[in-house]
Amino acid sequence: MPSAPKRRRRTPRQLLRGVRRRTRRAAGRVRRIFWRSLQLRVVTSTMVISIVVVAVLGVFLMQQIVSATLENRERAAKSEAQADRNAVLGYLSQPAAEAAKQPADAGQVLPGAGDTPLGQATAALARRAGSASRYSVIIRNETRPGEFYGTTDIDPRSIPARQREELFKKEPGEESTWYTPLHYVGQKTVPGIVIGTRLDTSGTALDSSYEIYHLVPLEREELILASVQRMLVLVGAGLVLLLAAIASLVTRQVVTPVRLARQAAERLAAGRLDERLKVRGEDDLARLAASFNEMAANLALKIHQLEELSQVQRQFVSDVSHELRTPLTTVRMAADLLFDAREDFDPMAARSAELMQNQLNRFEEMLADLLEISRYDAGAADLDVDSVDVRDVVLRAVADSEALAERHSTRFDLRLPGEPCMAEMDSRRVERILRNLLFNAIEHGEGRDVVVSVAADRDAVAVAVRDHGVGLKAGEENMVFDRFWRADPSRARTIGGTGLGLAISREDAILHGGWLQAWGAHGEGSQFRLSLPRVAGAVLRGSPLPLVPPEVEMRRTWRGQMTPVLSPAAADGGRDAD
Amino acid sequence: MPTRGGPRRHARRAGEVLPALALSLALLAGTTSCSVIPTGGRSVMSVDDESKGSPLGDPYARVVAMPPKAGWSPEEVVTGFRAAMASLDDSDFRIARQYLAADFAAKWNPRSGVTVYRQGAYDKFAPIGAEDRQAQVTLKGTKIAVIDPDGRYRPSGGPLNQPFTLARQADGEWRISTAPDGLLLSEADVARGYPPVDLYFLDARREALVVDQVRVPIDPGANFAKTTVERLLRGPSSSLADAVRTAFTGIGLIDVTTENNRVVVDLDGRVAADLVDPMSAQLAATLSALTKGGWGFEVKVNGESYHPDAPLRVDAQKQSSFDPWLAPGAVDPYYLAGDGLRLLGKENTGQPVPGRAGQKRLGLDPPAISGQSARQVAQRSADRRSLSVAPLAAGGEWRVWATGESLAPPSWDRYGTLWAVDRPNDHTSVLTRYDGDGKRHYRVTAPDLETAYVKSLKVARDGVHVAVIVRDGLGEQVRVGTVVGERERTRITNLQTVVDSENGRKIKDITWNDGKTLYALTDRSELLEASVAAEPASLGTGSRIESIAALDGRLLAGSSDEQGGRQIFYWTSSKWEALVKHENGTADFVENGPSFPAFPLG
Repeated sequence: MPSAPKRRRRTPRQLLRGVRRRTRRAAGRVRRIFWRSLQLRVVTSTMVISIVVVAVLGVFLMQQIVSATLENRERAAKSEAQADRNAVLGYLSQPAAEAAKQPADAGQVLPGAGDTPLGQATAALARRAGSASRYSVIIRNETRPGEFYGTTDIDPRSIPARQREELFKKEPGEESTWYTPLHYVGQKTVPGIVIGTRLDTSGTALDSSYEIYHLVPLEREELILASVQRMLVLVGAGLVLLLAAIASLVTRQVVTPVRLARQAAERLAAGRLDERLKVRGEDDLARLAASFNEMAANLALKIHQLEELSQVQRQFVSDVSHELRTPLTTVRMAADLLFDAREDFDPMAARSAELMQNQLNRFEEMLADLLEISRYDAGAADLDVDSVDVRDVVLRAVADSEALAERHSTRFDLRLPGEPCMAEMDSRRVERILRNLLFNAIEHGEGRDVVVSVAADRDAVAVAVRDHGVGLKAGEENMVFDRFWRADPSRARTIGGTGLGLAISREDAILHGGWLQAWGAHGEGSQFRLSLPRVAGAVLRGSPLPLVPPEVEMRRTWRGQMTPVLSPAAADGGRDAD
Repeated sequence: MPTRGGPRRHARRAGEVLPALALSLALLAGTTSCSVIPTGGRSVMSVDDESKGSPLGDPYARVVAMPPKAGWSPEEVVTGFRAAMASLDDSDFRIARQYLAADFAAKWNPRSGVTVYRQGAYDKFAPIGAEDRQAQVTLKGTKIAVIDPDGRYRPSGGPLNQPFTLARQADGEWRISTAPDGLLLSEADVARGYPPVDLYFLDARREALVVDQVRVPIDPGANFAKTTVERLLRGPSSSLADAVRTAFTGIGLIDVTTENNRVVVDLDGRVAADLVDPMSAQLAATLSALTKGGWGFEVKVNGESYHPDAPLRVDAQKQSSFDPWLAPGAVDPYYLAGDGLRLLGKENTGQPVPGRAGQKRLGLDPPAISGQSARQVAQRSADRRSLSVAPLAAGGEWRVWATGESLAPPSWDRYGTLWAVDRPNDHTSVLTRYDGDGKRHYRVTAPDLETAYVKSLKVARDGVHVAVIVRDGLGEQVRVGTVVGERERTRITNLQTVVDSENGRKIKDITWNDGKTLYALTDRSELLEASVAAEPASLGTGSRIESIAALDGRLLAGSSDEQGGRQIFYWTSSKWEALVKHENGTADFVENGPSFPAFPLG
């Protein structure tokens, strides 16, 4: 993609899509990490479980502490309220004349002599409650004017209206306790308890509508409970983190040897058969390491044995080929004699001589190929690298194949670039590859044109040979390079290939650090592509030519878009190895 | 192999079992430990001393105003109105106004002062019928005091006879249609909601603390210390307005709180550097009634320390060190005995004072002792025509400072000036102030006194209050005024009667106890404690008492028996005890014995 239109303005939807894409990508990454790391998974599950446990425990503990604290306070407040109620009743029920002489509980002389009994009672309760705002008292009698007193700075708004209603439904003397916010005049609101009752005035001349409320602030309890809660949260968080750390430590002890074992197995798989694990201790992991080492040793032994066997076989083939050459030379000479003198024979014998000559040619070629391939197997093949123009190599190979092409009435369609395509290669081998490919194309081309394309880019050159024959079946793209493989075993070998040509070609391509790949589709023909790096020894990253011929690719995408039902061939082939 | 594996397996099992055992033991100990509360340890926790009380005000009961209920009778409406007037949280008297008829509610002014009564009862004219549109309820009782808008509590007598007119409203409810302006509160309401407060201001020289007795209504929204300091910052009441200064000018209060056993006064500004000390003394003195002397102070400005580098901490007894005469403590009294002035020393035995005054007295007349560190004594001559002064130092001779027709006994003030009253006739008094050296003297302007017979004048130890005995048609009365100005601009204003004249009663002697109370001795051997903010209270009787002297709660009396023997007694808050011991160890009346006790100043 060229960089010119990169700075175009994006619509919000595009932005959103971008964000979503990025999020999905990040989520995918996290998921991948999560599922790849055993340790992370164990730590996560430990944390989740411990959070649940700590939360449940914390809530339970907090509830216990809160109820215990409040119960204690409420009980104390209620007993104080009862004592106060008796004191108030004492003040109210005595004759007014004596009221002035009533000594206060603290033994002080009452200020405000001549005060109403209720005023005196409230003052006494205020003193009893003390300066440290232990509680406030409100006394009222709604039916009598002026009978409404409160201590210090309590605001009568603090009494919930519903509590008053409840109080008047209950019998005098029965308590009603509410937890409610307490308001103080000109000060902040604090949570508190309101213990209310109607004064039980049975046996006195008083009416029963005296209400007494004790308002107990729970500011300190609130502070204590808040600090306990903070403590619990802190301790819980610490506990969860500690558990996570422990889980992490423990899994690390287990996971580290497993990870080492995995890495060793990977290296073993990569072919380093001398890879071994350190065995420490005698626990399960140590036993795993021991088993692994044993397995690796056995594998190495087996592979060594197999290699030896293979070596013996290759040597055998090579030896057989060499050994066969000597008698073959003799046979050849005799056959040549017979062939030259065939006109003197009767037709039957002459035909036999011709047949023998042909088959001997084939035999010689086969032997040569066998020797060549055994050289590869033995690793004895080497390159004679030279900088050449690929077009020249192609033209030479085409020229070599002209005779065969004519016989098959096949024409070559050469698509060569105008400028030279220089590359470092062993031209003899490359020519052989191309020859093989061309022969192959002619043989399977069923007389149709064979297209030879050459292309080059900065790093690589490529040659593609395209025929329009029966093509390859699915899965045959790789099998064509197998030794002695045949597309159709019943099909006669018209040009007498040895069955080793493509195998040798592939070995040649690999020797160059290049690729030899095949594409084919039934009824579409096939294409073989040779890609080579321009500089010998460089790693090939891509090919200048597509493996699937462009016209096939185009047709396929077009068909796939228009009528997917009508494209049974689209399912197979078209794999691009790039 | 098995023989070697055996012991190893055993060893491992022991290694596993031991920690498990320890863990289970720990768990067991944790869950079933005998007690959670530690026993056998010492606690180092400390809490505030409860006996010190709260310095920000004591708990109190307050009336909560409640609106009138439907169906109340006229008396009940008036009772509810009285309670609503006594309520403190309804600062706009919104609920009180609900008791008033709509047109009257708009006119009623609750802020024109408070009338205090005792024993209120209703006097009803006639039973009210269902058709009556009008009713009258009269509140009867005794009027005992008035609190004026700036908080001065002035005792006043007389019967209370306050009618309330009620009108039946359209909805059938009774509402008050006429009532007096101002609040009408019972004694108990005032005791509950308007506690007395002593505000302390500075004299003109800013070296003495002068008390201003006011009533401050409690504000439930603030602590009482804050209300008090707010009142202090508003300045003195009208009776002291010209006579005193204050360190706080243009300064407001943010809050009064407690912190680290200190009362923190948070102001919104700073005073001049030379006023920091007087300001601290004013605060400490004013709040000492609340803190009961047990709490130190700290002054902050806008929540930060007063000085940029150091906090301003004020000692709990700052006022005493600032003004030594506020609570002088142990000051030995002087008295006349034998031929001269004596100082009562240890073991309650007297020693003659140095100088001529210890050897020769001018007459059997009350001496006045000055307050300076070099004490001087002033005494009237026997013919009442001159006042002489002698330093109480070796070689101090009597020297005549003032002469006149008929002089009253002299009185010193704290600035070292001597006050003399000359009475050329029964309707004229001339007040003169003599400077410390006796050379310069200034006429004191006192319009209320110049046309009356001033029997005696005593300047209080704060230098501002002055008490006089004035003779009028009914007898003799005690009046208290304030001294304004210095030298030739000196005048006495705001004279106020603290002991009324009644039935020819005479006042034999007066003496200042402290800046706000004084004792008066009547010719009926009655001892009265008087103050501008209270009715005179009888302290008891003491027969044959001739003169009295008091200082900061100590009260001495010079007395004589039938044989002319003399002795000085002191008051033990229940009875009189003989004070001066003679050489023989007895404390009897003796001929020419101790008489006319005197403390410096007052």
